[in-house]
Amino acid sequence: MEETTFWYEFKKGFIIENPLMVLMVGLCSSLAISNRLENGIFMGISLTFVLVMSNIIIAAIRRWIPDQIRIPIFIIVIASFVTIVDLALKAYFPPVYDRLGVWIPLIVVNCIVLARAEGYAYKATVKNALADGLGMGAGYTCVLLIMGFIRELLGTGKLVLFDVTILKIAPPYNPPAIFILFPGAFLTFACLMALLNRYKARKVEQ
Amino acid sequence: MKQIMRLGTILMVVGLVAAVGLGLTYTVTREKIEAYDRQVEAKAAVAALPGVKSIEELEEDKELARKVSEVEGVEKVFRSDKGYIFKINTKGYGGPLVVAIGVGLNGKIQGISVISSRETMGLGSKVLEEENLAKYRGKTSDDPLEVGEDVQAVTGATITSKAVAAQARKALEAYDIIR
Repeated sequence: MEETTFWYEFKKGFIIENPLMVLMVGLCSSLAISNRLENGIFMGISLTFVLVMSNIIIAAIRRWIPDQIRIPIFIIVIASFVTIVDLALKAYFPPVYDRLGVWIPLIVVNCIVLARAEGYAYKATVKNALADGLGMGAGYTCVLLIMGFIRELLGTGKLVLFDVTILKIAPPYNPPAIFILFPGAFLTFACLMALLNRYKARKVEQ
Repeated sequence: MKQIMRLGTILMVVGLVAAVGLGLTYTVTREKIEAYDRQVEAKAAVAALPGVKSIEELEEDKELARKVSEVEGVEKVFRSDKGYIFKINTKGYGGPLVVAIGVGLNGKIQGISVISSRETMGLGSKVLEEENLAKYRGKTSDDPLEVGEDVQAVTGATITSKAVAAQARKALEAYDIIR
């Protein structure tokens, strides 16, 4: 029984309760940084780390958190882990840090993290909170990767991963820069939403 | 009252634990971060003045350094056998735009290299590409260095183009003070 719950809590982050596509929280930063595949990887890892750690800590100490001051405590926990990620990225992956820029510190105010702390971890066991954090983080990362893939490929005509070009569209293709700018984020996201809704509608019909 | 004390104590304990954790992380990463920043800066400075062998930061000459720092945006000056290199930090389109500009002993710009930028990829970043920055080579303080006059803006990146032109003007202004 325990096993299935852990698996369920993990897997719900992908489709049933995907933070970006279904809950529609934390969109701002994901639309902004998904113009490159590589950004998606590091942003996904960073957010997942913060989410998992804050979920675990909050689930572990929830017995001692008085109701009236739970939000300030959540914020302290979340902000601490975000700062740790911020410093670590800057020290060990500085080129990535330069590109993700302000969006890393802004994970503090990312709805996903606070929503999971308040809506889930505060009432869950450590084990379930871990599964929830991992699942939500993975679901978020997946969407970022798909968007980053589409936007970078269409917007720049190639895919660059760790300074290696892994995919290239032949020269007559003139990449429209709109895809790597903000309007491209909305276009891509809307198309993904439409696809998901169509898939869901079909499932209901069946 | 008792309740407030209790809540305050809990918050304080959480805050203390968080502060200790952050302090440790900061101590571990500080050296790496500073070393990287210096490395990037030095690399860009050398690239801005072709042929230069060694550079030294202008600091012992305090009077001069102070005067130069009055030019808004000029953060550091390096002296070398081939001329001066200015580290200039001003606002671009996407945030701070930091460049190193090398000015030769003849008063001509020798090169511009980017230390850090947050300009839009594909638009503003085109202004900062080697071939575009090379157009500034040979400019002196007699040139107007205005977008639309002697410098061409990159399509879709007027603000970044203007920012770079302004930085070139500042470098030459600072050079005139030193000379």
